[in-house]
Amino acid sequence: MTAISNRASARPAPSSTILSIKGLTKIFGGLTAVNSVDLEIPRQSIVSVIGPNGAGKTTFFNMITGIYEPSSGSVDLDGVSLLGLRPDQVTSAGIARTFQNIRLFASMDSQENVMVGRHSRLKAGYIDSLLRTKRFHESEKEAEDVANLMLEFVGLSRFRHELATNLPYGDQRKLEIARALATSPKLVLLDEPAAGMNPRETEELKSLIRRIRDDLGVTVCLIEHDMRLVMTLSEYITVLDYGSKIAEGLPHEVRNNPKVMEAYLGRGAAAGEYGKEEQLKGGANA
Amino acid sequence: MDFATLAPFLVGVVISGLVLGFVYAIIALGYTMVYGVLQLINFAHSEVFVTGAVVGFEIFRVLNGVEMNGYLKLLLALIAAMVASGLLNILIERLAYRPLRNAPRLVPLITAIGVSLILQDLIRIIEGFQGRFDLTYQLPTGFSTPFCGPESSCAGVGKFLGGIGISLQIKEVIVVLVALVSLAALNYLVNFTKLGRAIRAVAQDRVTAGLMGIDANGIISLTFLIGGALGGISGVLFGLKFGTVNAYSGFDPGIVAFTAAVLGGIGSIPGAVLGGLVLGVIQNLIGVTNILGGALNIANLGVIDSSYQRIGAFLVLVLILIFKPTGLLGRSNVEKV
Amino acid sequence: MTAIRPGSQPPVAAPDRSVALIVLAVISSALLLISQESSWLARLPSALANFLKNPLVASLVLTFFLANLLFAYRWKASLWAKLLVGGLSLFLILPWAGRDNTSVLDLAIQIGIFAALSLGLNIVVGLAGLLDLGYIAFFAVGAYTWGIFGSGQIGKVLTYFKDNSANNGPVVAVGGLVLLIVTALSLRAINRVGGKRTPVASWAFLLAALGLVIGVTLLVRGLVMLAAANAAGLTSGVNPNFFWLFLILAIAAAASVGVLIGLPVLKLKGDYLAIITLGLGEVIRVLANNLSTYTNGSQGITPIGSASVPWFNSLAGAIGFTPDQYSLFFLYFVVLIIIAVIILANMRLDRSKIGRAWIAIREDEIAAQAMGVPLVQTKLIAFATGASFAGIMGVIFAAKQGFISPESFILNQSISVLSMVVLGGLGSIPGVILGAAVVTILNISLLPSLGEATASLNLPPQVNPAQLQRLVFGGILVAMMLFRPEGLLPSVRQRRMMHEDDDPSGNMTPQDSLAGELKPENAAEVYSPGVATRADNERGGGTQ
Repeated sequence: MTAISNRASARPAPSSTILSIKGLTKIFGGLTAVNSVDLEIPRQSIVSVIGPNGAGKTTFFNMITGIYEPSSGSVDLDGVSLLGLRPDQVTSAGIARTFQNIRLFASMDSQENVMVGRHSRLKAGYIDSLLRTKRFHESEKEAEDVANLMLEFVGLSRFRHELATNLPYGDQRKLEIARALATSPKLVLLDEPAAGMNPRETEELKSLIRRIRDDLGVTVCLIEHDMRLVMTLSEYITVLDYGSKIAEGLPHEVRNNPKVMEAYLGRGAAAGEYGKEEQLKGGANA
Repeated sequence: MDFATLAPFLVGVVISGLVLGFVYAIIALGYTMVYGVLQLINFAHSEVFVTGAVVGFEIFRVLNGVEMNGYLKLLLALIAAMVASGLLNILIERLAYRPLRNAPRLVPLITAIGVSLILQDLIRIIEGFQGRFDLTYQLPTGFSTPFCGPESSCAGVGKFLGGIGISLQIKEVIVVLVALVSLAALNYLVNFTKLGRAIRAVAQDRVTAGLMGIDANGIISLTFLIGGALGGISGVLFGLKFGTVNAYSGFDPGIVAFTAAVLGGIGSIPGAVLGGLVLGVIQNLIGVTNILGGALNIANLGVIDSSYQRIGAFLVLVLILIFKPTGLLGRSNVEKV
Repeated sequence: MTAIRPGSQPPVAAPDRSVALIVLAVISSALLLISQESSWLARLPSALANFLKNPLVASLVLTFFLANLLFAYRWKASLWAKLLVGGLSLFLILPWAGRDNTSVLDLAIQIGIFAALSLGLNIVVGLAGLLDLGYIAFFAVGAYTWGIFGSGQIGKVLTYFKDNSANNGPVVAVGGLVLLIVTALSLRAINRVGGKRTPVASWAFLLAALGLVIGVTLLVRGLVMLAAANAAGLTSGVNPNFFWLFLILAIAAAASVGVLIGLPVLKLKGDYLAIITLGLGEVIRVLANNLSTYTNGSQGITPIGSASVPWFNSLAGAIGFTPDQYSLFFLYFVVLIIIAVIILANMRLDRSKIGRAWIAIREDEIAAQAMGVPLVQTKLIAFATGASFAGIMGVIFAAKQGFISPESFILNQSISVLSMVVLGGLGSIPGVILGAAVVTILNISLLPSLGEATASLNLPPQVNPAQLQRLVFGGILVAMMLFRPEGLLPSVRQRRMMHEDDDPSGNMTPQDSLAGELKPENAAEVYSPGVATRADNERGGGTQ
């Protein structure tokens, strides 16, 4: 995977924390969508942000990636503040993302989609493209190689020249992951990667996410509603409800946290007699 | 020019700008209503509006010798223009836009431009067969007399206006009154009737509105009918205000009115009215700067005369859109990520 | 047009048509030459000669001849046949026919100019998805760049300043320069406040921008005052050999105006962008109308010079061109070269990182930005590139017409170029060239000749076909959009999208994809049809 590593991710780790978020807040009009959330993501870990619908998870992602400007708080990637950066600058800094509602480029084939992900890492510019310089050819080759590598990594090589929109739904999600990985991120944010997947696809996704961390050395942070996936995959879980962090910790700690059950199932149900894990799962999927 | 003469002069300019602004506002409503339901810049609306003006001209011409109350003639002209423009607008939608409902957005835009060109020539040909090109409104006597000018002695608003040296003609007062009545009627229709609710529902989400049992195509036709009828009214008002129309005279006011609709926030009905009034006043203000002496002659920009009127409107638009990208009263359109 | 890869899109199972191509080319060339060469016409029976002389017939013959180039491009035929037909048509037959009837050359140049404009607008609208209704302004910038300097106008400007201003040129120039530097510095400072976001929507930014504009204006004015002493030497414009320099300058000027216009407005979307570009296009035209000191206002500038290359002139003379035709003959070849370069540039940009970024922005701005594509910068590049094509052709236009006035740059021209692009096929290089050719032939040759041909019928003026250009053109636009909305020669991309249902991949079965079952709303979003960006469709309030 050396082909896709860039200068940024090859640098020795200055600390064990890759992303450090403090007091992140977003207020829309009078509504506080995210309320002073802190989060530390350890390097090369897989962490999850969960919470009921409308808990502010996607808003949280949007602030990290620069789509929304936080009302207050700080986001530091490897000790460098990301505040005020545009989304493309955040991507250059080393955070890539996928989208809850798939956002592939409809008229491009899979390979081209992933090649766009390489945009910020290519050295060739406008003049190179016009004059077809050596640098242009090197860049194009790099983009193509990375794209093919990433398509292979997520298992979509056979769809290389298929229009992205012709892919089965689960594969479109994988294609988005490939596109995000092509940016050579240090950290990748996956927004509900398992949504709309059948159990077999979810299993594949689980191993894919593990391989992103193990083989590529990329830290993964995901928003997910599939509790089984979250519980088995995550090393650390943060729970949001109504924009505030209500719990965090190891999967089993979160699973047994009464506040979390209350958030998902309501006060009455949380006191019930059913198997707690099943409740949490069922509640999340409802 | 000292302040004592300048102030009433400017008030006069603003007031006649508002009269112009009401004409723009009604035209702008035609654009904004169609845009609301189809997200289409209906370039043909300027010709729909000219059609109204031409029909109005014909009514006044035919009734010219007839012994009849002038206001009744006006009413007939307005009704005829509304019907003609409304039906024409429905026809355009059925033939040119409906088949393209699911096409890329540029396609109906080009069609609209095509329809606009076709209508320009059709209007020219139809009037041309009668040997006419420039159509000069033959207004009932009395329409052009001053409404409480400086020399007349009347009470209330008229006295105030007369006192500061402003003379409005009866027809300009008619323009404002007709515009106000149309606005009130439209406001009632859109906000307080079942049909209005259906229009608003279709404008927000055509598919869901359809699922809720609303006949979306019917509502779109209705919207074109209303937009066209407003175009008809504005055509007659334009004829009243300016006196002359021809097949090509829809272009300029059309562009300004569309600018007004965008300025106010395209799709927003109050926005279109506000935009129209703002642009009317601004244009009039620019139009008189040369009377005030071309102060803005920095780089030999020439005399700031009426040819700057239209670009004045555009510069205002640029300024406002930079700060409010969806216009003065437009819904802020934050895309959900 | 030979620069398009010949044979890149042969119909799959079509038979080889090399012979047919050559036969047609010979027939149409012969017809064209006979109908234009008066000496040959004279030898024909008078009935036939009169038939060929009929303006409508002549126009159809010319159209038929130009259609050969299309056949050469489209048909399945051997490469040498294509090259032969294309090369001979462009380099021999057309100039030959143009020798006796310069309107043929004129039309060819006009097609070239509009093809370049369409290619430029295609980048902005077709690739980057930015609806620009004021595109003709960049053409105007190019035209006036050469128009002012290539004519006596520059002498008039300098004389005006010599006569009308006190001797304070240096003061004004230095003042402008200082203002320029101060505002540029403050712009940089503003840019840094609050991180790296560019706060275009702030009074500070606007004030600085205003300062920038005034600074440039003062600087230019000061320089003009300084140069005023040379007025006498420039009464017929600069040396025509500067034409080449001005080709480059026009590119730079148009691109700069593109950036200047683009910077404040490119964050607007869809129709807001459309109306504001329309407005700014009008601003440029009204300025051309009112800055009469520089542009001679609505009377326009004339005569405008053109470069002349001695050896080329003697070549033209040797093959029978009269001296007054040299410039047209020369410009025709210049246009061919420029068009070839523009097509090449267009193709190269299309198939590069930049092209991918443009299309990505068109399809989904938010996703593109999240993938590291800087939106404003990439859009500005599209704007500037499109503008530069228009700029360089503006110079050609000014030189060819010898006369420019604001009338040539009205909104209808922008709309006309847009219709060429859409008619030909958004995003498709051969498509927009064809669109430009079709619309130009229609407007300049076919419709007027229809009017001339029917002049003898004594039709009432209202229904004289020459008077019906709007009706016919509008009808064609509507019919085309209703029956072939993807354009005459749709781009490969578009064709794939349109036909994706016809040819499903074997791996794609409904069972495989849970899209429809689980998240229909997402599926609908991904499967949004057409070239409209998804954002557009979403704004469309559920038009999918």
